[in-house]
Amino acid sequence: MKRLIDFLETLGALGAFAWQVFWSTLTSPRYFKETLRMMDVLVRRCIIPVGLAVAPVGAVISLQGIDVFKLFGAERMLSSFLGTAIVREYSPALASVMVAAQAGSSIAARIGTMKVRGQIDALAVMGVDPVRYVVVPGVIACLVVTPLLSVITNFLGIASGWFFAVPIGGVDHGAFMEHLTAQITAADLWVGLGKCALFGLGVGVIAGFLGLRVKHGAASVGKAANDTVVNTIILILLTDYVVSMMLLGMGL
Amino acid sequence: MAKTEIQTHGLGSGPGAGTAGDAAPAVVLENVSKSFGDHHVLRGVSLTIRRGSITVMLGPSGTGKSVLLRCLVGLLKPDTGRVLVFGEDVAALDETKAKDREKLFAIRRRFGMLFQDGALFDDMTVYDNVAFPMRLHTDLSEAEIRERVIDKLHRVGLKGGEQKFPAELSGGMRKRVAFARAIALEPDIVLCDEPSSGLDPVMSATLDELIMEMHRSLGITFIIISHDTAEAKMVADTIGMLANGHLVAFGPKEEVFREDHPAIHQFFARETQGPIKVV
Repeated sequence: MKRLIDFLETLGALGAFAWQVFWSTLTSPRYFKETLRMMDVLVRRCIIPVGLAVAPVGAVISLQGIDVFKLFGAERMLSSFLGTAIVREYSPALASVMVAAQAGSSIAARIGTMKVRGQIDALAVMGVDPVRYVVVPGVIACLVVTPLLSVITNFLGIASGWFFAVPIGGVDHGAFMEHLTAQITAADLWVGLGKCALFGLGVGVIAGFLGLRVKHGAASVGKAANDTVVNTIILILLTDYVVSMMLLGMGL
Repeated sequence: MAKTEIQTHGLGSGPGAGTAGDAAPAVVLENVSKSFGDHHVLRGVSLTIRRGSITVMLGPSGTGKSVLLRCLVGLLKPDTGRVLVFGEDVAALDETKAKDREKLFAIRRRFGMLFQDGALFDDMTVYDNVAFPMRLHTDLSEAEIRERVIDKLHRVGLKGGEQKFPAELSGGMRKRVAFARAIALEPDIVLCDEPSSGLDPVMSATLDELIMEMHRSLGITFIIISHDTAEAKMVADTIGMLANGHLVAFGPKEEVFREDHPAIHQFFARETQGPIKVV
């Protein structure tokens, strides 16, 4: 019972915190330089891991899929499946998971360390709202950078899939491209980007929330970073499922 | 862990005991109490700190000095009582409400604070740490900020280390950088949390001289919490003594020493017998 009450209390506190972040984003003062700096850090930190995570997925889809499609004489249509799977599902989910692992943990650890070392209090005493200065830039950076990374991973995933389908699998390049462009619509791209933005937002808010809840010492900082990764990845995968079901239900 | 306890019988801890001077007050505490669970840290503390004074709050470790300081800037909310800073009750402001939060941050901008371990930003250089409040709260050009940062670092005796990071500095240097940051905006009040802790006697005296120099040249009100009696003798014009959550003495330095308060006497004489008990 106590655990349930604690969970509900934490959920309530997270909701209030998310509202505070939202309100702080809409109102002044805003710290653009810090936001740009966070974006720069996130892109540098995430681009290689995200690329390395998604590129093999495109390759595996082509490798596994080509034999199945050949059974039906439909290997020319492999790119339709590849494109949809990468753009709508794998790229947003994997890019977001990698952002959660790389950026979410580092944001939570940074804020937690600042809290333990009194730097959050120092900001507050200087008349600087720590949520505005430390949390909001991280949230905006995750919100913006995750979709940007997914654009790159879309390209990498499809390119690796093309490599195993066309030069290695023997699918005609023209047919591959024709089915790819015919299948992927603007709606697919927007759905993928929208999901990334939603997941990025969740990563930023949860990382900030858990970072600011750090209380004692290095172990607490490590726990905040770890909890951020675990909670955000679970949240991303569950939300991805729910959002995909809803969008398919709406015919999108 | 040993704790200290004080016998307060016969000691002047009632309202009005904590008044020093008639000049316009910078800070007024009225019957401030704060507990953490069963642990009563502050018990009905009332005092008035006038503008332009250097007040040193003394007391054994764990008797609520830091809590008092945190209540002043709204980092902690007292359970009862009022904390008036330039007439505004900080304790009545609710940080979860947007309007109150803005008001609280506006009040905090009148403070500078030297934290016990400096609380410098690890990912910023010395220069950027000192420039930080100027960049955020003023419209100064980068050239003007540079001039002021160099001036502040010069005042604290640090020249040439502007591009170093806090991790590359000694404890004393970190404290001096933190002091330069605390006075960067030449605030109305500077709070110092154990400024001499962890410093050698020479460095400690250097920091005390800095405090007096800033007080003379900029007219800043200093509120220092300490258990360093030499520091209190050197810099204070007002001395307060907190023990077991009670304000057991408060007033002009000469007056407090003249009254030879038992707790003050025991503390300065480093005696094990007296109203302050180690339990």
